[in-house]
Amino acid sequence: MNNFAVLAKKEFVQMVREFKVIWLPLVFIFLGITQPVVSYYLPSILEALGGGQGITIDPSMAAQKGGEVLASTLGSQFDQLGVMIIIVSMMGVVQSDKANGMLAFILTRPVTVGSYISGKIISNYLFVACSVALGYLVSYLYVVFLFTSVDFGDLIVALLFYLLWILFIVSFTTMISTIFNSQGIIALISIVFLLGCRIIVGLSPVIDNVNPASMSKHAMEVLILGTVNSQALWGVLAALAWTAVTILITNIWISKKKFNNE
Amino acid sequence: MELHYGWNELKDIDFMSILPIILPVIAIGMILVLIALIDLYRNRKTRKNVLLWTLIIIFANTIGPILYFVIGRKDSERI
Repeated sequence: MNNFAVLAKKEFVQMVREFKVIWLPLVFIFLGITQPVVSYYLPSILEALGGGQGITIDPSMAAQKGGEVLASTLGSQFDQLGVMIIIVSMMGVVQSDKANGMLAFILTRPVTVGSYISGKIISNYLFVACSVALGYLVSYLYVVFLFTSVDFGDLIVALLFYLLWILFIVSFTTMISTIFNSQGIIALISIVFLLGCRIIVGLSPVIDNVNPASMSKHAMEVLILGTVNSQALWGVLAALAWTAVTILITNIWISKKKFNNE
Repeated sequence: MELHYGWNELKDIDFMSILPIILPVIAIGMILVLIALIDLYRNRKTRKNVLLWTLIIIFANTIGPILYFVIGRKDSERI
């Protein structure tokens, strides 16, 4: 456990040194603010810029519920730009250690591969989860201020569902970062695969049960409808299983020393 | 149908009511730009393409500072 603590602390020191500890929360707060503000002003923006004559803006269109706006924050801001930013900020997580020989050096010490990987994933996940939660709460404050209020229990349940999806993103990016050597390829494969997962959500209920990205859909449903989907349990189990699989592959890959330090 | 918009139409928008809501969005964007510029200025001797990064940070809004933090700082460490 001591090794784990040291490795996790090293990750946090590195985050502070790269200013990640400042800019990642700021970016998520920015994304969280954008969606409520834009959807609040959408009718007046359309009215001002859309050619005044001949267009009538239906006033009932503007009366969105708070939960819907918060769900669209998750669905259209965090799931697209947010996921890309998480991947881009994490693409070097193991790759930079491989590139400068740090990984080979660490493994000559009495450190198990398990504590190395768990130190990496847990410290990065805690940090990303904190910044996502921060952006989400700021978005919630804006929604309450500009629209109707959202039930606090639904808010927390939706956040927990969403953080499971974030956990899969973090562990998947770590796996890809272990397997491949070039940062561009790591970012490309992770972005294509994870956004692809997000796009195929909702095509068929069978795929949704084994797709970790369906967590994001369940979070949106909780916010809009106020009830948890009965299929959500399978989705939670599938997301946890996929996360375990990716961590296992990372573990096997490092312990068989398939990486080559350039 | 009127397709041309002039400056005088800006007066129709009530800026004072929008300001308290828009201000945090602008403020966070400015903070990101400022942190990136300060970091770039302090390390201007060791970075490559300082002028290019300055332009990217200032003009590519919110994406520019992120790109600088992720790509711009890592490349310089290898020198």
